Amino acid sequence: MMKQLFPIRHVMGYLASLVLSAAALTVLYADLSDSANIVILLITALIQASLQLFLFMHIGENTETKKELYLNLAYALFVGLVTIFGTLFIFVWGWYA
Amino acid sequence: MKIDASKPLEYSTEENSNKIFGFWVFLGAEIALFATLFTVYLVMVNRFASGPSGPEIFEIGPVLYETFLLLSSSFTIGLAVHAMRHGYKKAMMVFIGITLLMGLAFAGIEVMEFLTYIHEGATLQTSGFLSSLFVLLGTHGAHVSFGLLWGGAILIQLWRQGINPATANKTFIFSLYWHFLDIVWIFIFSFVYLKGLM
Repeated sequence: MMKQLFPIRHVMGYLASLVLSAAALTVLYADLSDSANIVILLITALIQASLQLFLFMHIGENTETKKELYLNLAYALFVGLVTIFGTLFIFVWGWYA
Repeated sequence: MKIDASKPLEYSTEENSNKIFGFWVFLGAEIALFATLFTVYLVMVNRFASGPSGPEIFEIGPVLYETFLLLSSSFTIGLAVHAMRHGYKKAMMVFIGITLLMGLAFAGIEVMEFLTYIHEGATLQTSGFLSSLFVLLGTHGAHVSFGLLWGGAILIQLWRQGINPATANKTFIFSLYWHFLDIVWIFIFSFVYLKGLM
């Protein structure tokens, strides 16, 4: 019963997300350049988000709606990323200057 | 109501499958919502006027507690869904209970954090940076608080009705919501706190 209550994949996913959060802390303590730090944050955050999505939220488990769920997610990410980077492009990175 | 026994209980009727699909579509809209809030924050992060800047008010200690609590609660709500699929009602309710307690602790720490900021003269009205910070954190915190009420209501229904297609469906959808809040927090942790402190 313990094995059913604590599936090993799930426990490993949890430990991985703790390790990744700790790994992200290197940006505070290692003296790296700003761009190296941002890359570390992006990588650790994206892996953690994927862990949640694929392992914990079981996005791919229902074959009938799998394609639509990925499409919906891709569209939402497209809208979100265009909003964020389009705005940074104009207001922060000074594209118009 | 046609029940398909080959599927997990939470997907077992067409209505149930549609509700789960619909919730994923809603989460897509939530991604757009939080993207706009991150956008405003990233534009305003250096506009702190005469108020304090991020590095001056952020403290890593409480943020680490919040991160640990939310990651762990995301883990336990996942365990609750696994227990549900094996029909262990008691274990499932315990896992949901632990999830909600950790969510409550998270919300408590966040309230204390906000009070500390306000005490240090960093209020919603102080600067563009602080307005965007409070709105981003506050929207996430409000989602967590709403989740506490929602999860509590599901827990009562489970206690009264046990595991059936309706309660299983609600629990699964709640687990999607809770995992999503954890994903949003990961980005707040990385790109608000760690980026601010590095």
